[in-house]
Amino acid sequence: MIRNLLVSTLLIFIIAAGCKEVSSFQEPLDLSQIAYHPNPVPIKVPKGFPQLPLVNKNPQTEEGIALGRKLFHDPILSADSTMSCASCHFAHLAMTDGKALSKGIDQKEGLRSAMSLVNVAFYNEGFFWDGRVKSLEEQALLPVEDSIELHNSWDQLVDKLRTHPEYPVYFRKAFGIDSVAQIDKYMAANAMAQFEKTLISANSRYDQIERGEEEYTPDEKAGYEIFFDDSKELPDGECGHCHNVPLMTTNEFLNNGITYAEKASDFPDLGRGGFTGSQFDNGKFRVPSLRNIALTAPYMHDGRFKTLEEVVDHYASGGHYSPSVSPLIKPLNLDETQKRQLIAFLNTLTDLKFVQETQQSEVY
Amino acid sequence: MRKLLILFFIAPLFVVSSCDKEPEIEIVGNVEVNLKANYDGEQFMTQQEYVYTSAINVKFTEFNLYVSNISLLEFENSTEETELAEVDFVNLSFTTDQATEAAAGYDLSTKKVPSGTYRAVKIGFGLPADINRTSPGDYGNGNALATSTHYWASANSYVFSKIEGFSDNNGNGIFEASEDEGIRFHLGQDEVYTERILFPSEPIVVEEDGTVNLSLNIDVKKLFEISDITYDANQDGLLDIENYSSSREDTDDPGFLVDRTIMSNYSSATKLNQ
Ligand code: HEC
Ligand code: HEC
Repeated sequence: MIRNLLVSTLLIFIIAAGCKEVSSFQEPLDLSQIAYHPNPVPIKVPKGFPQLPLVNKNPQTEEGIALGRKLFHDPILSADSTMSCASCHFAHLAMTDGKALSKGIDQKEGLRSAMSLVNVAFYNEGFFWDGRVKSLEEQALLPVEDSIELHNSWDQLVDKLRTHPEYPVYFRKAFGIDSVAQIDKYMAANAMAQFEKTLISANSRYDQIERGEEEYTPDEKAGYEIFFDDSKELPDGECGHCHNVPLMTTNEFLNNGITYAEKASDFPDLGRGGFTGSQFDNGKFRVPSLRNIALTAPYMHDGRFKTLEEVVDHYASGGHYSPSVSPLIKPLNLDETQKRQLIAFLNTLTDLKFVQETQQSEVY
Repeated sequence: MRKLLILFFIAPLFVVSSCDKEPEIEIVGNVEVNLKANYDGEQFMTQQEYVYTSAINVKFTEFNLYVSNISLLEFENSTEETELAEVDFVNLSFTTDQATEAAAGYDLSTKKVPSGTYRAVKIGFGLPADINRTSPGDYGNGNALATSTHYWASANSYVFSKIEGFSDNNGNGIFEASEDEGIRFHLGQDEVYTERILFPSEPIVVEEDGTVNLSLNIDVKKLFEISDITYDANQDGLLDIENYSSSREDTDDPGFLVDRTIMSNYSSATKLNQ
């Protein structure tokens, strides 16, 4: 009987000690004395932009955005403290990295080109070139552990955040946690998503013209008409069917004819098909927004085109055959002037005010 | 006098509230509406090759449409309509690896209607002018009218129906991304809105708590029927798809006749089964 009692007491001790080990953090630092007064900052939807879902499980607050902005730019995110999200998503390049294929901390090249994060708050067809991720909150969890991006582990990163001189206060102010032990990867991801949703660009020359504040030059106007098939005299560019207003994308998954493939299995990057498993989706990619397109070279999911001239030459030529190519892709019969005009229109989509404001708010 | 005045004010209140309180105890049943597509009697699927003419095979990649103002009529010329759906977006672009989904078609949401006997179903193909005046930004997230895929800003119109695909004009077995082999119909604008009253072979009897299923089946091939010699060079009653395979935006363009014809063909191409 006594022996039994002894054994069970010992057992309890062992279990208790084990428990202590699991929560690797030594002293759960109390944060409850720090003020928690989150200020809601609803997303301002520009006129004509799609409305946002009424229910937002991750409501924007000033404090959440501030934390997200800090994390987004902080090299603490990567295993060797050299890279952050901002290393591949620069404000002056409209949140891209200027490379054909992105490189992570180990100098390993990824398979795809960094995407612009402009207006991501309004995308709901899935994130990434293949749409494999449902929400920004889910997306923000991924780069940290991706071996060709930040190649870190969330366990390590969360430990660093908990013991950091500044972050615990930021987390408290954003999410009202009482102790540093409550900091977790989901809060970090939610905060980054809140920050990303503030990256709204709707003040390009195109927008000013739409609002009646400016007027197109004749070349830009002709480019607009080619882009939106809006003139009987000029050839139809068909662009607007896929890069439609107001976001300059429909966010559909389509094949714009950049890759020749005799069979559906021949695409080097299956794109959408790699995610859905349907052969008919092989070679399809999410139609990217053309807002700020002049700033985001090189172009396409693999950065194959260095300039907008190359892009327009591609479309004008009618592209390459493959089983999933869209019927909207066809030779366009554009002469050199018309190509130049089309590019003049694309240049009206640059929003320098957005770039400046985003740059000013960058934190390093 | 005061009493009278009070009565004067109170009496109407009673009248109003008694109106409110006297609910017509309605006896209702359910009506389900389903839409699917066929091609000349075969199940319609995108990515499937179909015979267009003896010389030309076609393959579609996208097929969808807005339907609107679907309602039940008690008799042929009845002006009283029992609404089943105001607007819905019907996407029938199921690929050959989604044969089960294609066979099931698209279900509009089930509607409760007063039980009784109805003799006709009204349906709009496309959007009536009052709705077509609006644009996607006017609608909340998830609404059928909120999507930018089916709005054409320079025409101030929704795209009522998209029919995209290819015709193998040269018969080489390859559906090429070329001017003449691509099929690119984006049909829209007020002029092409089409309304039709369909008569079932038997009256539609909605019984108390019962469920009636109305199944509408669209023959995609019939959408291309045309009798105008300009657009039917072979005089086989079908659109000369080699030469006329995309929409016109300008309603004054003679070629807009093709857009008009395809949209109005939805009337004859749609059969109602119970
Ligand atoms: C090494 C470069 C690199 C780093 C670091 C990086 N990204 Fe990216 N980002 C990319 C690439 C490449 C893509 C496209 C990947 C794909 O489609 O498979 C992308 C796509 C995205 C997208 C999808 C956008 C859309 O419209 O679908 C979001 C959101 C995003 N990144 C956010 C982040 C966040 C948040 C971080 C930091 C936690 C981050 N990125 C770090 C390169 C990077
Ligand atoms: C059938 C739909 C479709 C049409 C029509 C179309 N595009 Fe695209 N566009 C796409 C898709 C899909 C991509 C991404 C393809 C990829 O990376 O594999 C793309 C990419 C681009 C890019 C590169 C964007 C980036 O961020 O890298 C530019 C620029 C562009 N298109 C401009 C145009 C212009 C100009 C036209 C008209 C001449 C046009 N597009 C017509 C679907 C289309």
